[in-house]
Amino acid sequence: MANGLDPHTVGLLSNMSIMALLALSAYLLLLVGRISFGQQAFFGVGAYAAGILSSMFQAPIVLALGVGMAAGALLSWLLALPTMALSGLQYAVATLAVGELARIILSGWHWQVAAPHGWVGPDGIDGFREIRWLLERDVTPAHFLGWIACALLAVLVLLMRTERTRLGVALRMTGQDETLAATQGIDVIRLRLFAAAAAGALAALGGGLYAHRTTYIEPALFDPMLGVHAVGYALLGGLGSALGPLLGVVFDLGLLDATEVFHGWRMVIFGGLVALFLRWRPRGLLDERAVQWFVQLSSNKRS
Amino acid sequence: MNSMPYWISACFSKSVQHKRLAFALCLSAMLPPAFSAESGERPQIGLQCVASGPGPSLDCVVDLQRKDGSPIERAQITLGALMPSMPMAHTIKPVTARPTNQAGKYQGTLLLEMPGVWSIEVDIAAPVREKVVRNLMVETCKGDARCPANPVKPGEKTPEHGSGKGKH
Repeated sequence: MANGLDPHTVGLLSNMSIMALLALSAYLLLLVGRISFGQQAFFGVGAYAAGILSSMFQAPIVLALGVGMAAGALLSWLLALPTMALSGLQYAVATLAVGELARIILSGWHWQVAAPHGWVGPDGIDGFREIRWLLERDVTPAHFLGWIACALLAVLVLLMRTERTRLGVALRMTGQDETLAATQGIDVIRLRLFAAAAAGALAALGGGLYAHRTTYIEPALFDPMLGVHAVGYALLGGLGSALGPLLGVVFDLGLLDATEVFHGWRMVIFGGLVALFLRWRPRGLLDERAVQWFVQLSSNKRS
Repeated sequence: MNSMPYWISACFSKSVQHKRLAFALCLSAMLPPAFSAESGERPQIGLQCVASGPGPSLDCVVDLQRKDGSPIERAQITLGALMPSMPMAHTIKPVTARPTNQAGKYQGTLLLEMPGVWSIEVDIAAPVREKVVRNLMVETCKGDARCPANPVKPGEKTPEHGSGKGKH
């Protein structure tokens, strides 16, 4: 599917797709009115869980990714249980603390088993090497990009379809006015718990794909900056549609970073834009009004 | 939708047949070309890098040998770099490592964005599929000096990390 692309393009598109999954996980929580700076923790959990299953227990990659997603969803749900009733700011701080806690736990976690070529498994701060499922099956980076793109596309289709359902309306209503949502019979806390679990699963899927792509992970990768970027992409791209976070990723990684426009000033430009958007367009570039405008435009064209 | 590739627009189509076809296309992409276990022995990979100039740029030499110590020639090697503290955010253009005068040794130069801890990826496409990642501390050298990039413990940060401070 992606054959014929040079290694740089393959790497860039793979990174963008994986980052989009993490940004979508932040987007899901923003949709229900919660901001999380700790999605990198579930990204890490997914990476370690999927890596352990495929490289230590030779599980098929689909199973490894699935178990990673389940682990991410469960941990995210468990974190949300005591914290979701807190105010938005308190929840944000709690997620940041959990993100750091997860990184510290992974830094001290040693569990290795003997493999044909040596020891394999998490080795504390030395990281987790030899996640060789793709290498051992001769799956090329270009081929794996096809898998990542399919996973992202499936998630996008699922989210965009869900947004048109009653569940999607309830999620958005909860984020915009939780009191009003509660008066409409929506169980706000339950809905937010569901969103947290789904967001954890999405972040973990991204982590699992990342671990297999790079063959190597370490706790330092799951730095708070990763979670902050995920939130930034969702806020910049827009909360009007699941395509918003993807737009944010394409803008930063695909335009500012890859083309080296504003070389050396990229982070300043990106941070400045997020700040400006928060002031002038708080729901991002592709907000609800923009989506409505596009829908109107396409229905006018059809008629 | 009409401007999208067919397999993407099919996912959004109301037609069940189109959706099945899109699903089949995705599934075929997920089938690995071979399910057989790894063939051939793993090569021994040595990596030595030195930093120089602005950026800094990182000159790396990959030493590729078989288990018996004989050099592996005509290998296809790509060198890449990522920053562990910000994965996926600093896109460093991968370079092809070219053969040197010495058998089994390949050289490539990466242009980095800043000094600090970098994970250098050595990706071998042929004659065997292999990939190793080494964490190196890359520092800026003043003038024409060339500074060796030494291996670091993952997660290790030094006062020079990202500060642009150099050494002679």
